[in-house]
Amino acid sequence: MSWAPFWLLAFVVAFAGFTLISLVIAVRGVAEIRELFTALKEERRRKQP
Amino acid sequence: MSSPGIVSSFSLLDLAIAVASLVATLWIGLRVKRYIGTIEDYLVASRGMGLYVGAASLLSTEVGIITYMYQAQFGFVAGFSAFVTGLITLAVCLFVGRTGFVITRLREMEILTVPEYFERRYGRGVRVLAGVLMAFGGSLNLGIFPIIEARFLAIVTGIPSQYLGWTMAALLLIALVYTALGGMVSLIVTNYLQYVFLAAGTVIVTLVCLREVGWGGMVSAVEGHMDGHGFNPIEDLGVGFILWQVLLWIALMTVWQSVAMRTFSTKDAAVGKKMFTLTGYLFLGRALIPMAWGIAALAFFWGKSAPVVAPSAPTRSAQIEELDKDLGATFRRDLDEGRLERALPQLELLERLAREEKLQDPEAARFEDSARERRGELGLLAMPWMLAATLPTGLLGLVVAGMLAASISTYAGYFLGWSSIIAQDIVAPLAKKELSSEGRLRLTRVTVVGLTVFIMIWSLVYDLPGPAYFYLQVTANLFMAPTLIAVVGGLYWRRASATGAALAFLLGAITSLAYLAPQLKLDVATAGNLSWALAVTGFALGSLLFPQRARS
Repeated sequence: MSWAPFWLLAFVVAFAGFTLISLVIAVRGVAEIRELFTALKEERRRKQP
Repeated sequence: MSSPGIVSSFSLLDLAIAVASLVATLWIGLRVKRYIGTIEDYLVASRGMGLYVGAASLLSTEVGIITYMYQAQFGFVAGFSAFVTGLITLAVCLFVGRTGFVITRLREMEILTVPEYFERRYGRGVRVLAGVLMAFGGSLNLGIFPIIEARFLAIVTGIPSQYLGWTMAALLLIALVYTALGGMVSLIVTNYLQYVFLAAGTVIVTLVCLREVGWGGMVSAVEGHMDGHGFNPIEDLGVGFILWQVLLWIALMTVWQSVAMRTFSTKDAAVGKKMFTLTGYLFLGRALIPMAWGIAALAFFWGKSAPVVAPSAPTRSAQIEELDKDLGATFRRDLDEGRLERALPQLELLERLAREEKLQDPEAARFEDSARERRGELGLLAMPWMLAATLPTGLLGLVVAGMLAASISTYAGYFLGWSSIIAQDIVAPLAKKELSSEGRLRLTRVTVVGLTVFIMIWSLVYDLPGPAYFYLQVTANLFMAPTLIAVVGGLYWRRASATGAALAFLLGAITSLAYLAPQLKLDVATAGNLSWALAVTGFALGSLLFPQRARS
C-alpha cells in the first residue's frame, strides 16, 4: 500500500477544514464578543451595591 | 565559490503592517480592562465565552511562532510520517468533544484551575504538589519560546541580531501588559483578532509553499532524500511513540492548564464539548499545515542544491573525518546565511558514509549522530529561510503580522495559565490567612510579571538536548501524565487516594526530568511512556495500600 495518497487526503482535509472554520469564526465571533461584553456589564451592575 | 545567502525583502511597508497589528492588539487588550472586577472575571471571563470565540481563543493560545517552527522541523526530519500526530490530535478532540470525557465533570464543578480539583478530591497537599510541578514544567516549556521565535523573526525580517533581544522583550511586554491588566477578558477579545491574523498568515504561507514546490515536489523530496523513510509512521516513529502521543494528547486536551481554562470559561459544559469538536479540525491543521511547510522547505532547498562528491582520501573513515571537518568549518555560517542547499547534500553524504562505516567500526556512529543532530538544527530554520527567500514585500508584512499575533496570544495565554497556578495553587494555599478576591487578583498579576522575567532568563541560558518538538512534549509530560491519571482516577475510581496521587506526581516527573539531562541519553518515547507507566503504578499502589480516609 502506498501512503502518499492517504497523506494527500489528510492534508486536503486539514487545509480545507482550517480555512473554512476560520472563515466561520471570523464572521460569527464578533456577535459573541458583543454578547460577552453585555453579560460582563450586566454582572458588574448586578454586583454593585 | 559559495553561493550568496538569502536576504529577506522585508521593507518599511511590511514593518508598518506588523506594527499596526501589534498596536491594534494592545489597544483592544487595554480597553477591556474596565470589565474586570473579580478573580472570576480575570481568570475565566465570568464563564461567558461562546463557541466561536472559544475556539479562536483555544487555537490562538496553542499556536505560536514556536508551534509553526517545531512542527515544520518535525515534517522536515520525519517527512509525512509526522502527520500521524495531527491525526491523533483530531481523534482525541473528537473523542473529548463527543463524550465530554473529564471536561464536562470539571466544568460543572466551576473550578478556576485543575489543581483546585485536587484539593477538593485529595486535599491541600496534593494541590500544592501538583501546582509546583505544573508551574515548574510549564515555565520550562515556555522558557525556550523566545529564543526560538527570535531566530524566526531574525531570518524572516532580517533584523540584525543585536536588536533581537529587544524585539523579543517588546513582544513579551505587550503580552504582559494586557494580560496582567485585562486577564481572560483581554485574552478572549485579542485572541479573536489574533486568530484572524494568524489564519490569514497560515493560508498565505501554505499557498506560497504549494506554488513554490507543489505537492509532487514534496513527495519526490521525501522519496529521494529520506532513505526509504518518511511515509510509514509505524515503521519510522514506532508504536511506542504513537501510543505515547495518544496518551499525551488526551492529557493536553483535558487538563493542560491553558486548554482547561478555556473549558472553564465556556458558558456551559455543552458549549465546551462543541468547542472541542470544532477545534479538532483546527488542531489537525495546526499540525499538518506547518509540517507540510517543513517538507516544502526540504524540497525547496534540495531543488537548489548541487551534488557533492566524497573527499579524496585513502579510506572511508578518512573521508568521513574530512567531510565532518569541512562541515564544521561551513555549517554554522551556511545556517546563519540561509545557504541550506550547500549543507544538505554534505549532511546526507556524511550520514550515508558513517552508516556504512559503522558496520566495520562502531566508532563511526558518532558521525552519523552528529549529522542527524545538524539535520535537526537545519530543519528548525529551513522553513523561515524558505519564507524569507520566497515571500514578496507586502505579503511578508501580513505573514509577520500573523506570526506575531500567534506568538503574543500564546505568551498571553500561557502567562495567565501558569501564573494562575502559581498564585491560586501554590502561594494562596500556603498563605497563613485567606486571600481576598482583590488580593488574589493582585497576586496573579505580580506572578505574570515574575514569569516573564524567568522565561527571558531561561531562554538565554538553556541549550536544547534534541529537537524542539521533543523538548516541549517532555516538559509537558513532566506533569501531564500524573495530572490526567489523578484527575481520571479521582473522578471515576472511588478508592483513589491522596497517597496514590502524590506518588503518581513524583514518579511521573522523574523520567521526564531524566530526558532533560542530555548526559543520560534517554530516548524520548521511552521517557514519555515510562513516565506514564510509573505514574499509573504509583497511583494504583498508593491508592490500594493507603486508601483515602473519609473527609469531612
